[in-house]
Amino acid sequence: MNADVETASLAGDAPNSAAPLRSVRVGVVGLGRAGVIHAGVLAAIPNVELVGLADSRPAVRREVRGIGFKAPMFDRLPALLAKAQPEALVIAAPLEDRAALVREALEARIPVLAERPFAASLAEAEALTMLARGNDTPFACNHGLLYHPVFAEVRHILSAEPLGLPRRVRASSYRSRVFDASRQAAVASEGAAGGVLAHDALDALFFLIECFGMPREARATVLRLFGTLEDEAHVMMTLPSGTEVGLDASWSVPGYASPATVIECECENGRLLASDDAVELDVVEERLGFRAGHTRLGLADLPQRARFDLNGEAAYLMDSGFLAWVAGGEPAPHRAERSLRAQRVLEALYTSAKQGGAPVALPVTP
Amino acid sequence: MTTRSKSKAAPASKSSTTTTATAPPTPRDGPPRLLLSLRSLHGPTLATRDRMLEIITRYREPESLAVTLAKAVTVPVDGVLTCATPMLRAALAELETSVPLVVVVPALSDYERQELGPGLETAIATSRSRTRGTARMGVDGTDALRPAWLGPGDFVRRMPVLMASEIAGLERRSVRGIVLDAWFTDLALAAGNQKFFESFARHVQGGGMQAGFETRNLGTLLARLREWSLRPDFVVGPLNPSGLLMKPSPEELLAEVKRSEIPVIARDLCAGGVDSLDAAAAYARQRGAWGLAPDLSEVDDAAAELRELLKTEV
Repeated sequence: MNADVETASLAGDAPNSAAPLRSVRVGVVGLGRAGVIHAGVLAAIPNVELVGLADSRPAVRREVRGIGFKAPMFDRLPALLAKAQPEALVIAAPLEDRAALVREALEARIPVLAERPFAASLAEAEALTMLARGNDTPFACNHGLLYHPVFAEVRHILSAEPLGLPRRVRASSYRSRVFDASRQAAVASEGAAGGVLAHDALDALFFLIECFGMPREARATVLRLFGTLEDEAHVMMTLPSGTEVGLDASWSVPGYASPATVIECECENGRLLASDDAVELDVVEERLGFRAGHTRLGLADLPQRARFDLNGEAAYLMDSGFLAWVAGGEPAPHRAERSLRAQRVLEALYTSAKQGGAPVALPVTP
Repeated sequence: MTTRSKSKAAPASKSSTTTTATAPPTPRDGPPRLLLSLRSLHGPTLATRDRMLEIITRYREPESLAVTLAKAVTVPVDGVLTCATPMLRAALAELETSVPLVVVVPALSDYERQELGPGLETAIATSRSRTRGTARMGVDGTDALRPAWLGPGDFVRRMPVLMASEIAGLERRSVRGIVLDAWFTDLALAAGNQKFFESFARHVQGGGMQAGFETRNLGTLLARLREWSLRPDFVVGPLNPSGLLMKPSPEELLAEVKRSEIPVIARDLCAGGVDSLDAAAAYARQRGAWGLAPDLSEVDDAAAELRELLKTEV
């Protein structure tokens, strides 16, 4: 920040936002909106060379070429791998193709950052994670909320534990996206196991698990308003401590053009309320350097470390964190092994929904 | 104060502080010094959700927007930074006076923006569907309706089609400038598309208007334009005391603003309501901003606050 500006972050730095310490050659597969955002931010990260772009759709390749990207363009991943020889890949292809592309890359020992969910089924997700672990190949999944300035702060505050143990957690993930059957079919990828939970709320689910740990039990009820997939979901997760974490998700709520996440956490020493605008803390007794009383931290009070903004801070920080890992740095917080926990909970939620909201037990993992 | 802007070559300003009952004040020539931005009505904004709901409620009817536009004209602002939305057109239709416009292209609702694909064609299709409505009102949108067989997706070839479609139906002499929306500017910037930046500015200026680029990466854009020896009429980007959205970093951005010969119009002045408008305006001007574009969400009494900004202009 400039000399006049001090951030008021209470709890420290954002997660791994470092750029790679050596040059990394990167390719992007899947050139829809997400793929182009990745291509744009990758071009701005120091020590990153965008060496190839791939999409099977000629019209999409033409549009991306029209934007002005000069990296060689390919119609298939094998051609990109053979000719551009990337050291890492960002895979943003549609869900129906995603897992196969990730597998192909990991089998070639190429590190991958994939859009979420990185596979349509839990079994496939587990197999890919095992493959990456066996190959000792970095594998991460897109979880932008972790890098949103407000929610990065929330994570640090909660991990510092000035509020003590959580007693009750409620969250919501809302977006105005689906208001008829054709729209639901267009938004949900072919072969998708679910609707709003799998497509929009998975990031919030991942974030809640990162902050509060893996639940021992989960249950969900869903509403199908416009088609075969759920448009709204009411989720309850029970932590090993017995604390209940709730998540309401909908992509059929008017007034939310941009995705909106809210987390409210009542703890033994106070309360935290976070939205995309700000985090508010009410601390009862001063603890661990957090003063008693009310504190509000808006976006302007928090660190903004991305050096290029295309659709927000998160894309840059997520990509640079992944590539820093590829270049020998610390494993990224959004690595697939951690994302897998959210996929496990997701599957339990769908099982519960099929059983009318019955609780489904989950294995307790760190 | 280090306002290098004073030393920059720009057409002489006309005095326009007097108003008459019959004619609105004439906007000054040259790059705009003071714009009223309506961007929060149709673009990404730093305003909080509560503030946005308030603004949307306040400007739900075109008549409300028309009143604010009329007040802005009497200040006088050098223009209104806005997309050519149906709401704007309806508000303009309520007014007898001409409102100087700096039109951001393309007009995208926040919903359309969230689903926008990688290229231009979706934006062109959306714009054309609006233009067809305009054409039915007897307005010439011929340029905008040219076929897409030549260079689909190509920013250089297709942007003129989009621009023509966007300004179709607006009173031609009221359009002082055209500004490219930040999403498209930043995509082309990321791609290093020098040819596009050249052609956009040339096309707009060839039509007798000022060419500007809106960006969320102001420091990076200024550096690239300098490197490419390109000089659009102005650029619009975030500049505020909190350093919010000042990319690649506040220090680098401020250094580029000082170094650049391109007039910078500062937006996101209040950093989402954290900084006061007068302090933010002083901050931006002291650091070399040529002009200011306070947003509707950053003012309560638009006329009074804009007039105050005009008074404090050096």
